[in-house]
Amino acid sequence: MSAIVTANKLVKQYGRQAALDGASFSVEAGRIVGLIGPNGSGKTTTLKAILGLTQFQGELSVLGLDPRTQREELMNEVCFIADVAILPRWLKVKDAIDFVEGVHPRFDRAKAEKYLANTKLKPEMKVKAMSKGMVVQLHLALVMAIDARLLVLDEPTLGLDILYRKQFYQNLLEDYFDENKTILITTHQIEEVEHILTDLLFIENGKIALAASMDEVSERFTEVMVEPQFAAAANALQPLSQRTVFGKPVMLFDGADRAQLANFGELRTPSVADLFVATMKGSYA
Amino acid sequence: MKTMKWLIKREMWENKGMLLWTPLAIAGVIAALVLSALVMGHVQNIQIDGQNFNSITIEGKVRTRIAETLAQAYIGTGMPVLMVLGMLVFFYCLSALHDERRDRSLLFWKSLPVSDFTTVLSKALLALVVAPLITIGIAIALGLVMLLSTCVVLLMHGTNLFGDVFSSPDVYLSPLRLIGLLPVYILWALPTVGWLLMVSSMARSKVFLWAVGTPVIVTLLLVWAQKALLFGVDAAWFASHITNRILLGVVPGAWLAFDRNNISIAREEHQLPLPDTIFSASWSTLGGISVWLGAAAGIAMIAVAITMRRRREET
Repeated sequence: MSAIVTANKLVKQYGRQAALDGASFSVEAGRIVGLIGPNGSGKTTTLKAILGLTQFQGELSVLGLDPRTQREELMNEVCFIADVAILPRWLKVKDAIDFVEGVHPRFDRAKAEKYLANTKLKPEMKVKAMSKGMVVQLHLALVMAIDARLLVLDEPTLGLDILYRKQFYQNLLEDYFDENKTILITTHQIEEVEHILTDLLFIENGKIALAASMDEVSERFTEVMVEPQFAAAANALQPLSQRTVFGKPVMLFDGADRAQLANFGELRTPSVADLFVATMKGSYA
Repeated sequence: MKTMKWLIKREMWENKGMLLWTPLAIAGVIAALVLSALVMGHVQNIQIDGQNFNSITIEGKVRTRIAETLAQAYIGTGMPVLMVLGMLVFFYCLSALHDERRDRSLLFWKSLPVSDFTTVLSKALLALVVAPLITIGIAIALGLVMLLSTCVVLLMHGTNLFGDVFSSPDVYLSPLRLIGLLPVYILWALPTVGWLLMVSSMARSKVFLWAVGTPVIVTLLLVWAQKALLFGVDAAWFASHITNRILLGVVPGAWLAFDRNNISIAREEHQLPLPDTIFSASWSTLGGISVWLGAAAGIAMIAVAITMRRRREET
């Protein structure tokens, strides 16, 4: 496997505030990576750096290119949908397709039209007449028809209802993703993406707090519904976090021995959201 | 090349209302006004005369003069349309790099493999070449409609000038002269287009105020410094060489005013017809240094706009 993105000690200052403070990570080909962090942790700055939309210090290689100096080349193979990359109101569906076909060497018109055929969008429709969900459908149709090696999604489903959100990820997985493509997603709706992710990157205060594949996560982290009589014993093993469900403490352990934990109560793999909360608990303190 | 074609199309989709329909509407209004005046006048003649006395036959020297004037001057009816061009280009440039940030579509355009250089270039080309060509085309069409209808009205009054007018080379040369002025227009409009694109790429809001306010306030300050503080600054020079050039350069024919000290209107001496005089006087302005300095400054400001679009971060 080759690395699509390699970042080494990225630093970015906004005035005195450090948005990125020595973040290092890599993203392998054929993965779906969730870049997850609280507000202001440097997520968007990281994505901007990868897309060549911001200047920064440190080493960053995306598909072997430096996004700071080789942005145009990079954009042939990288695509992105951001909640701030809005389609202009005057754009018609058919013009959007014509334009992207005209300027993008890797755009497959038939694919975009096939996808649009399953929506309510009509060729003569203008963006200003569309609902937010339809605009995202159009954007997704354009992006899915581009044979890009890296797709970056920054809060792509922000403001969409649950039907559009489910459909968005379903389309992405069924019609777009394959082993030659890599997807990097940031979102706050962790529950909705965790089943499609293959890798996690937690970012906190401009640093990577956790980088692991989902398989590693389920090996490393264990959640136990501790029976009340074992609470003290379980606490002695220094759980990462603890909460109470139906009067029973639920503890999250990092790298603890499962056989030992099994004595305390029922074991399960923590959800990404719970893991996130446990990892980030100092973030706003 | 293919990318440029699509970028120009993109600009046309966005600005069709302004760049195509505005001049068309103005041409339509002018045509309607003039045609109705011609027709009404014609009808009135009949009513007053009661008989066919309104038939006038023009012959001889007067006839030649009329045919010659018509053949030379018909293009002049398109002038109001050309005057609008200045305004269209002005406002187009002001919004060209600002609107994509305001409606937040900038990141969508940046997600496509099109460089900032090509994008800004497409906007400059639209302002300097495409928009003028559209307007010139409409102006010529309007002129031809006016010429034909004048000839038709004269014919109804018994004078057939079709042969004289359309055998005159001026009929065909006038549109060519107008198109032939495009290079002059481009060079004189460059400082204004550059300035406006640069402001458009920089200002967060109130683009118009920045674009117009900055040079006007600087001029006023200079006037004040000169008059009140007796500084040795030449405010008048600044106003005519900087302020006017970066704000009014997009008005067609403005070069005749900018360069008036160096143009010798040679009409009296050589007995040339007026269109010829304007044409050669316009081209002769390119002999001065001032137009080239302005064009260079315009290109430099466009380069700044490209850098701004590349470097600027939206938060």
